[in-house]
Amino acid sequence: MKKIISILMVSLMLVSVLLLTSCSSDSGRTLNLFTWAGMFPDEVIDGFEAATGIEVNYVNFDYDETMLAKLQAAEGGDYDLVIADDYIIEVAIAEGLVQKLDKSKLPSADNVNPLYQGQFYDPTDEYTVPYGAGVQTIVYNPEKIALDIKGYADLWDASLGDKLGIISNYRVINGMALKTMGESYNITDTAKIAEAGEKLKTLAPNIRLIKDDNLQDDLLAGEIDAAIMYTSQVTVAKMTNPALEVVFPEEGIGFGIMAMFVPSKAPDSDAAHAFIEYILTPEISAKCYEYIGYYCTNAAADSLISEDYRAFLTLPEAFTAENMEMIGNITAEADEAHLAAFTAFREACE
Amino acid sequence: MIKKAKGATLAVLPLYLFTLVFVIGPLILMLVLSFSPRDGWGYGSGFTLDNYAVVFSGTYLNTFVTSLKLAVISTAAVIFIGYPFGLCTALLPARFARFFVSTQMIPYWVNSLLRLYGWIIIFRAGGLLDAVLMGLGITEEPLKLLYTYPAVVVGMIYVLLPFMFTSVYQVAEKLDLSLVEAARDLGAGRAYAFLTVTLPLTLPGLKTGVILTFIPSMGLFFIAQILGGNKVVLVGSLIEELLMKAHNQPGAAALSVILMLLTGAVCLLMMRKPRWQK
Amino acid sequence: MMNKITFTRIAYPILITVLTYLPIVVVVIYSFNESRLSSSWGGFSLKWYRELFRDEDMFEALFNSVVLALSSSMLAAILATAAALGIKNANLPGKRLIERASLLPLIIPEIVLGMVFLAFYSLLGMKFGMMTLILSHTAFCVPYIYTQVSARLEVLDSAPIEAARDLGASGFMAFVTVTLPLLAPAILSGIFLSFAMSFDDVIISVFCTGVSVNTLPIRVYTQLKTGVTPEINAMCTLMLAVTVVCYAAAAWLRTRKPAKH
Repeated sequence: MKKIISILMVSLMLVSVLLLTSCSSDSGRTLNLFTWAGMFPDEVIDGFEAATGIEVNYVNFDYDETMLAKLQAAEGGDYDLVIADDYIIEVAIAEGLVQKLDKSKLPSADNVNPLYQGQFYDPTDEYTVPYGAGVQTIVYNPEKIALDIKGYADLWDASLGDKLGIISNYRVINGMALKTMGESYNITDTAKIAEAGEKLKTLAPNIRLIKDDNLQDDLLAGEIDAAIMYTSQVTVAKMTNPALEVVFPEEGIGFGIMAMFVPSKAPDSDAAHAFIEYILTPEISAKCYEYIGYYCTNAAADSLISEDYRAFLTLPEAFTAENMEMIGNITAEADEAHLAAFTAFREACE
Repeated sequence: MIKKAKGATLAVLPLYLFTLVFVIGPLILMLVLSFSPRDGWGYGSGFTLDNYAVVFSGTYLNTFVTSLKLAVISTAAVIFIGYPFGLCTALLPARFARFFVSTQMIPYWVNSLLRLYGWIIIFRAGGLLDAVLMGLGITEEPLKLLYTYPAVVVGMIYVLLPFMFTSVYQVAEKLDLSLVEAARDLGAGRAYAFLTVTLPLTLPGLKTGVILTFIPSMGLFFIAQILGGNKVVLVGSLIEELLMKAHNQPGAAALSVILMLLTGAVCLLMMRKPRWQK
Repeated sequence: MMNKITFTRIAYPILITVLTYLPIVVVVIYSFNESRLSSSWGGFSLKWYRELFRDEDMFEALFNSVVLALSSSMLAAILATAAALGIKNANLPGKRLIERASLLPLIIPEIVLGMVFLAFYSLLGMKFGMMTLILSHTAFCVPYIYTQVSARLEVLDSAPIEAARDLGASGFMAFVTVTLPLLAPAILSGIFLSFAMSFDDVIISVFCTGVSVNTLPIRVYTQLKTGVTPEINAMCTLMLAVTVVCYAAAAWLRTRKPAKH
């Protein structure tokens, strides 16, 4: 009996390997799209395939850093289109892994909201087209919290004991302390960063949890009553419970951009351009942003986003490039200081 | 005799070569990396001890203590729960034993992240556990167990238990019960028979179980992240931060080397044959 | 044999099994949740199953995961069993050192292992894909099988093997008819453990995979940016159902046909 099982398993293995090798000899054009899972609704991918006859091969990575490592190993080849966070794109461009876009193939690139253009990672907008922005906000449940939260400084209030949930991103969280000190997110003075770390430690009694995934569930379930979370999580939370309060901190607004780029040796850069152009179509864009729940970076799509979502997928008019700041790359020493401060903070939370 | 050695050599050779290339090779790369200087987002050539110096600076030393503590607690708990589980199952008639062995295998079709999410729902304030405990009148208000140290330990036990169970079971299944019966016939008490017959006979399984529990538990950190609210800072999670957020590959490699040495040392210490066995 | 059922022997495993299945039951229940969030119950719905069946990529990822886990655990089983059997008499320099070294993938944190594998394969100029995945997974599967088999060998009586040899059986025949059946439980439990680890691995896979191969855990974990949807719950529930049916069928076949030995 056991012998039969093992023979069966070995033959199954051989068959599957054969199947795999035969699968790869597909004809037709493919677009190798490299990004996180769940970045596009199925209907958009299907629509693109139907419109162009190009098949989308959706490959996923977990972290930006993994993406960079894979792209380095492939020397800018293998993948046709990548969507990743701003700071990593700056590094990829510096390493020559990104090719300049052919704007003649992207007539809709003019639709991009100027607020998200000319940023540090691509000052001349030659390499990238933004796809969604994350904006740092504070979310809280006014039914459970009497305090009228206006900015980061309010989070230190003693009435919030063990009620706060935050994401595990030290540049955002340490940055919060820096903001209360009136500093920039991007300072490189390690003494100041250490000072922010000390300040952060005094927040520990209010922290119930630090995590990146599904933080909105904890807020909605009442495990925490206030949170600093990613934009997509804010959108989901607000859609589920409209009574939640979303605050743009008075100390200043931090934001990040996800952008599309074509690797330097992309096998089919034409297909990549066709995809970017397709995504920039206002109707398609609107669908995408409603689906991923990040701020819309396509100005032409703003008015097409349904009423339910518009309030938190487009920025209020008052926000301009002057009162917002992106989190950029800093020196290795400053990064080291941030990590040390954040580690000490996490230990203080237990 | 010579023929026997030749056959044995041929049998070992594939793993020997595989290990040489696909384990030792990458390992050497890791060692080299841990002594390389940082260069922007990657690493440069040259030799430096800086990466190790950073590790031994106050902040990070603590994470090793925390990791060791959690690994020891989890391993002890897994022995306590898993050893009797494997033994009891092995002592059942084959039909029943098979049932328990297969029921241990089925959960693996469910992604581990989802299984941990399942625990979150159970532990949540006002969740399943609270409903049961409060319904039975054992507790009066929600326990707020989620995102605490005990929740992390439960998660660790949950993930590691099958390793202890299978290790003990597949050795105990071979156990010749007549020896225990003989000991009992000769007037040995239950506890005495267990200590002198059953335990020594199942020791290889227990040892394997401890190795397969303790070693991974030193590196497991996603349970502490998901069920512990990321407040228990473990070496593994620090390595992840160094690699994925601080883009410091040499630092991460150095931490891994130290973690490896520490884990190896503790294992050797545990695996030393007790004096009475020699 | 003398194995009997007593209250403790049966009650304790039942208790542990029930506890093991608690979170699984929760996962199954929430696959029928209308709401996308685990914090609220939006009513019974088959919505996520409909989503799942529209998602070809998900099934392709499942297929890749099964192929990967099967291949690497089988390959590891062959390597580890042969080595465990021969290690005593083998004539190779530093064999004990290599034996210890083969266990090292257990100690090195996955994330570093993944990073080093990536660097190593690109150093060798290998193409990333199923091959690199299988090699890396085999490397971390070996320890699970090796430890199980050598523990079993330690308690195994070598008398039957010697007896078979004395009766004139060749080394190979003795191996197939005597040793292999005696080792089978250990090999199987090793395969089970390593299959489980491989099937669930995300960190090493994400580093070692290429353009064409996505696995199921990669699909799940890389969704974190936008939130994990109950579609995955539906997928896992389906897989559970298929497994349970298979087990039940196997058990039924076994009881129908009287055992030969």
